[in-house]
Amino acid sequence: MHELQIAQNIVKITEDEVRQSDLTQSISAINLKIGKMHAVIQESLRFSFDVLKRERAQLKQAELIISEIPVKIRCRTCHKTQLITEPIFVCSDCSSTDIEIIGGNELYVDSIEYEDQ
Amino acid sequence: MTEIQVVRNILEANDQLANDIRNEASKYRFFLINVMSSPGSGKTTLLEKLIPELQKRGVKVAVIAGDITTTADATRLARLNLPVVQINTELFGGDCHLGAEIILPALQKFELKDLDLVIIENVGNLVCPAEFDTGADLNLVVISVTEGEDKPLKYPLMFRVCKTAIINKIDLLPHLKFDVHLLEKNIRKINPQMEIFKCSGLTGTGLVELVEKLYLKINQKNSS
Repeated sequence: MHELQIAQNIVKITEDEVRQSDLTQSISAINLKIGKMHAVIQESLRFSFDVLKRERAQLKQAELIISEIPVKIRCRTCHKTQLITEPIFVCSDCSSTDIEIIGGNELYVDSIEYEDQ
Repeated sequence: MTEIQVVRNILEANDQLANDIRNEASKYRFFLINVMSSPGSGKTTLLEKLIPELQKRGVKVAVIAGDITTTADATRLARLNLPVVQINTELFGGDCHLGAEIILPALQKFELKDLDLVIIENVGNLVCPAEFDTGADLNLVVISVTEGEDKPLKYPLMFRVCKTAIINKIDLLPHLKFDVHLLEKNIRKINPQMEIFKCSGLTGTGLVELVEKLYLKINQKNSS
């Protein structure tokens, strides 16, 4: 449900960057890094983005390229890092619960691509 | 093809406003609690019991109530003789959470210097509110025993973002096949440091401990 607002913010950030760089070219891609912690449904994000881009001449061609980042934890007891695939925030090595999340919280626009004229 | 490096947080606008809220809260020294849950977990009933207990201890409370269309919750809470700002996100459909851009102007409707505690009763939803920082000192999740024991596993971000969890409606336990220990275990899988309280907003069971803990936190902020 939060995908619409995320799509709106992506559009805002992209338009802002376009303005700042005085771009007149059409944007072809927007590269996103999205951590698994955010539970973003990609289909839903693309759907919202596609609706928003229709009204914006420079974004009409833009595709979202989503790179999904897995959740990575570091154990503060044994210092081991590991990727987790289910939401169980416990060190699989030493069973410590004193862990920190060091990956998977990302949610940012990484870069914007445009066709050279 | 040319690529421009951007590296900008998608939620940057919200996060900046959440920082503005944090600044307001430290300037006027009030404690801000963001209460989140799924719909029907008993947030309003719990607050109706909790707030008078805090008021008895001299805490000056105000509430920001977020609801999609009705003013029912705000009306109930206003009976407690406290300032309430009702936020209706939209009449049809509506937003799924209260963002910082909504909380900040709502806060400004209060006489902040006269308050010790502002409670945000967020929109009932375990997904979106977890995503949008409100600048709260304490994120609190309410989960009732009429929901599933596996709720924390389904909504991990919510249970990571919150430092306190209230297991509500425990007065119903004799009538249900609900395993509270399993729920607690699941909460701790997601957030081993979670502070957990078991209460009934209806009967008041278990409320004393919660009130004492919150009172301590509020006082710490007020005297800082």
